[in-house]
Amino acid sequence: MDLTRPDNEDLLDVARVLLLVQGAILVATTIEALLWSFVFAGAAGAPVWFSGAAALMILVARARLRADRARTRRIVYAVEIVILVSLAIDTVLAVALAGALPPVVALLTQLVLPVSVTLLLRRSARATALPVPSSTLARSGAAS
Amino acid sequence: MNILAHLDHVVGLGGGSPLYQVSAEHVAGVIALTALPIGLWLLRRKGAPILAPIQWLLAALLAGSAAVHIGLVIGNDHGFAISALFVVDGILLALVASRVVRGHEAGRLGVAVLVGSIVAYWASAVSGEVPDQIGLATKLGEILALAIIVRPAPSQRRRTLRSLAGSVAIALLVLGTATSSWIGAFRAAAAEPGAVAGHHVHGGVAPPGTILPAVPARDATPAEQKAARELLLATRAVLARYNDPAVAAADGYQVKGMVGIDFHASNPAYEHDDRVLDPARPETLVYAVAPDGRPVLMGAMFLMPKIGQPGPTIGGPLTVWHAHQHICFSVTPPGLTGVLSPLGMCPIGSIDMPLTAEMIHIWIVPGARIWRPSPADADGAAGTRRPEGLAFRSWGARVRSRASLIASPRICGSSMPTGSSARRGAGIAMSVAVSSVITRPSARHSLRSSSTIRVRGGRRSVARCSA
Repeated sequence: MDLTRPDNEDLLDVARVLLLVQGAILVATTIEALLWSFVFAGAAGAPVWFSGAAALMILVARARLRADRARTRRIVYAVEIVILVSLAIDTVLAVALAGALPPVVALLTQLVLPVSVTLLLRRSARATALPVPSSTLARSGAAS
Repeated sequence: MNILAHLDHVVGLGGGSPLYQVSAEHVAGVIALTALPIGLWLLRRKGAPILAPIQWLLAALLAGSAAVHIGLVIGNDHGFAISALFVVDGILLALVASRVVRGHEAGRLGVAVLVGSIVAYWASAVSGEVPDQIGLATKLGEILALAIIVRPAPSQRRRTLRSLAGSVAIALLVLGTATSSWIGAFRAAAAEPGAVAGHHVHGGVAPPGTILPAVPARDATPAEQKAARELLLATRAVLARYNDPAVAAADGYQVKGMVGIDFHASNPAYEHDDRVLDPARPETLVYAVAPDGRPVLMGAMFLMPKIGQPGPTIGGPLTVWHAHQHICFSVTPPGLTGVLSPLGMCPIGSIDMPLTAEMIHIWIVPGARIWRPSPADADGAAGTRRPEGLAFRSWGARVRSRASLIASPRICGSSMPTGSSARRGAGIAMSVAVSSVITRPSARHSLRSSSTIRVRGGRRSVARCSA
């Protein structure tokens, strides 16, 4: 176990893994949408492009994610907000029309995952903005 | 009156696809998850080890999956061998979790156990086991755990290459899980007696996107047969004028942009006129575009004005309504974009419509393949059963019909079941088929039309005419 890494790097480590899985889910969703567009003639094509773009943005952001890259974080926030807004609409519809919440997996992939990524990136950003704790410097050997 | 289980589809009791439900036999797995906080509390009392956040996440995911697998043994009804596999999987996952908690790497054992568990799920789904929300959530958790294990360490050689390979592997695992779940859900629906492939697939297990109602298992009464016949004849008479889309457009149907073999042209005015099952004012017309570009009327769809409002089963078991669930609708621009993914997402830019209003179709297509019961489906003694709708046609039939369609089909003849022997249950599939087949390459067309109503388990009569 690597105990010498700074805390915000630990958080980014978790965020990268979550972003990888989220990106993979978006890729799968894009492929599914593409296939459905063949089944339903005249199905709208824009969501295929949107999903593909979101997948690309998440995967590229995951590869470029660093503590000091605010722009990368903002790209991730933008995609997460779109997903969360979409879930909010879905939830309102589900409660209003079916009297129930969306399925469990939808809550995991559209709520837990985006919220976790957002919180991790925000905490990481805050940790970067704050002065480095002396204990971390000592652990990493930077103080010597 | 048939009443759809509008709310139950989420928890697993209604007529919705099991893909979006929590299977009853998996509830024990969820209950077993509650053991995790207890384990964490015990660990804290013992003195929690110092771990990085990602290691804690890994341990939690592995322990969660282990708990679910152990719990599944309780509700499992697939025999001893499957139960034993669940136990072995659960123990191995717990073993890897304990290694992680002790500060060791999950290592190859962790990779092997997780990949084995995920691939076993694929095999189970592809072989026809219905995937459900607990299974999918568990697999996504396992994929996340695997992503943690295979991520390259900062000091590792060829880090970029390893990272890329790991990312591709995770993407493939996610894709494989989604694909196998789709296959499992559709196979389970198709495997049930009476199910057919196509736009509306009905049987004991609902396919993704469809809700099947429960219908009394009884024969149609003479009055119901009469009502169904009148509906059928009246609708056919009205549909004849809409062979020309221009006439339909003049009456308010949205026929613009007609594409494909399943184009639904709705009439907003009729949808909001509060008239229910009015043959003179079908809410939607369904067209197919023939290979030469000419539109051909395939049938009509009647829609209830409000979601949750049961359709009037004027023909008893002869007129069964259905609804759709978890359909993805695009808002940019408006349109159907598919069915909610097993991964829980509609494409970005579309919303998940959890439930639609009830609907019923009358088709006028050639070669409509109709729901056919099997002997195993005959024991509908429970009083209610999952039936089929008014008319269904297979995808293959539609494709075949597309190749042979010409414009200006004509309607001729009529038929009703003669001597219903539908003691097997009240489910019925009724189809009105009007086919027009080009038999000569010249301008002379030989038209063959047929109208079919088929009572489940009973005889059918077909009237044909030629011109």
